Amino acid sequence: MELNDAILEHLRHVAALPDLSGTRYELECEIGRGGMGVVYAARDRPLDRRVALKIMDSALAGEAQLIARLEHPAIVPIYETGTLPDGRTFYAMKLVAGARLDQYAAGVTSLNERLRVIRRTGEALAFAHTRGAIHRDLKPQNVMVGEFGEVYVMDWGVAAVAGTPAFRAPDARLDQRSDIYALGALLQFVLPPSMPPALRAIAAKAMSVDPTARYADAPALLADIERFQEGLAVEAWSEPLWHRLRRFASRNAVLLWLLAAYAGAKFLLFFLRNV
Amino acid sequence: MDPDTIMGGPHGRFPSTQLSLLEAATAGAALPNEAMERVSALYWKPVYRFIRVKFHKGNEDAKDLTQSFFATALQRDFFARFDPAKASFRTYLRVAVERFAAGQHAAANRPKRGGGVEFEPVEEQAATAASAEQIFEREWQRQLFALALDDLRAHCEACGKQLQFEVFEAYDLADGHRPPYAELAARHGIAETSVTNYLAWTRRMLRQFVTERLRGVTAGERDLRDEMRRLWN
Repeated sequence: MELNDAILEHLRHVAALPDLSGTRYELECEIGRGGMGVVYAARDRPLDRRVALKIMDSALAGEAQLIARLEHPAIVPIYETGTLPDGRTFYAMKLVAGARLDQYAAGVTSLNERLRVIRRTGEALAFAHTRGAIHRDLKPQNVMVGEFGEVYVMDWGVAAVAGTPAFRAPDARLDQRSDIYALGALLQFVLPPSMPPALRAIAAKAMSVDPTARYADAPALLADIERFQEGLAVEAWSEPLWHRLRRFASRNAVLLWLLAAYAGAKFLLFFLRNV
Repeated sequence: MDPDTIMGGPHGRFPSTQLSLLEAATAGAALPNEAMERVSALYWKPVYRFIRVKFHKGNEDAKDLTQSFFATALQRDFFARFDPAKASFRTYLRVAVERFAAGQHAAANRPKRGGGVEFEPVEEQAATAASAEQIFEREWQRQLFALALDDLRAHCEACGKQLQFEVFEAYDLADGHRPPYAELAARHGIAETSVTNYLAWTRRMLRQFVTERLRGVTAGERDLRDEMRRLWN
């Protein structure tokens, strides 16, 4: 049978469609794909709600169950995992309405808002790491910001995924420190080109080639971002004296203004007494 | 360019569950030949097309080179030198074809003493190489699906599911306009939901036959999964 290109493309597409007979779901359309699998929008018939269905290789079933056990406000909740008639694994999860971080960051100007998203992402990572899960493919396309500003980290990784080059650590074996690298790359991605040097240093430390030179864990990185936001010195950067003075002045502006006013008043009194 | 050969087309044979290439290579003395048949059923046409495009060969020359390649590969312990840790079997085979055909091509075109030598511009070489590789990949997919479709048809005939195949053929193999489900249901005297179910079943079976064909030309589960991921994504 001679197949032309159009039929071949169609066959590739339809043979990859999940057969959902015997499940509670009805297929709607494809909404994304990556190295780990394909995500479809589907309707959960008994509950009459839309869900996202991720279809992946059966070899990844164990990891799908691990991911399903991660319950955190910034991790997309998994409703169910199962097996399709052809042996592939699927899991059904909340269908998030919102924008991917790369789209969201393009429309947000506030530095604090960008850092809020990074911190929420980091909190999700920190939680997953305590449960023995690592993401392996953290990138802007895998972080969603919902309609009400809620942040969801999606597409939790599996062993087969190698990561996305710009966000992938140059490590031979991916582990929690590789996620720290990706979080640093994400921080660098959302920041404007004229980012403050302290933040640039935080991203650079997280993205060190040597894994041991990175932050020990996600909370350590988040603590450094928090220190920056509170106007304190960050661990990642030994700042020059003039910068330290400027930061001190910025943090203690009211006190310095009061001192200046006091000194001014004293000088004026001294001047008036001697006229 | 003269028309392509009809050699190397698919054969309507229902495959048993196939051994991987590595299993075949280590299972006994007779198996590598069977493995070679599987490989040539899937790769003959892609290799032929690759040689035609890459080395600008005519139909007959490309056929001869393709035949020589498979004959030489059989004699030269081809499978034994394949290391799945280094590359997929598909890449290994394509590189082997390229080296083989380049050697044959150079021998055929070796200039006589004192004769002029013409070099292809580098840009042109690169462009040709890329498109030849793409053609190889495309032909490989085409042949894989053609073989799997033959398997599917044979399976449907063997288990009395010709109607399922007819619905599938009318819809998924339609060139251009695909009839609505209602029209297909009326044409075959079945319910519209049956059309949905028949299509779901045949597509699932097609996927299974594609997997089986791939299993026979990959080096174990990991290689198979990688190929499946590349094929569907």
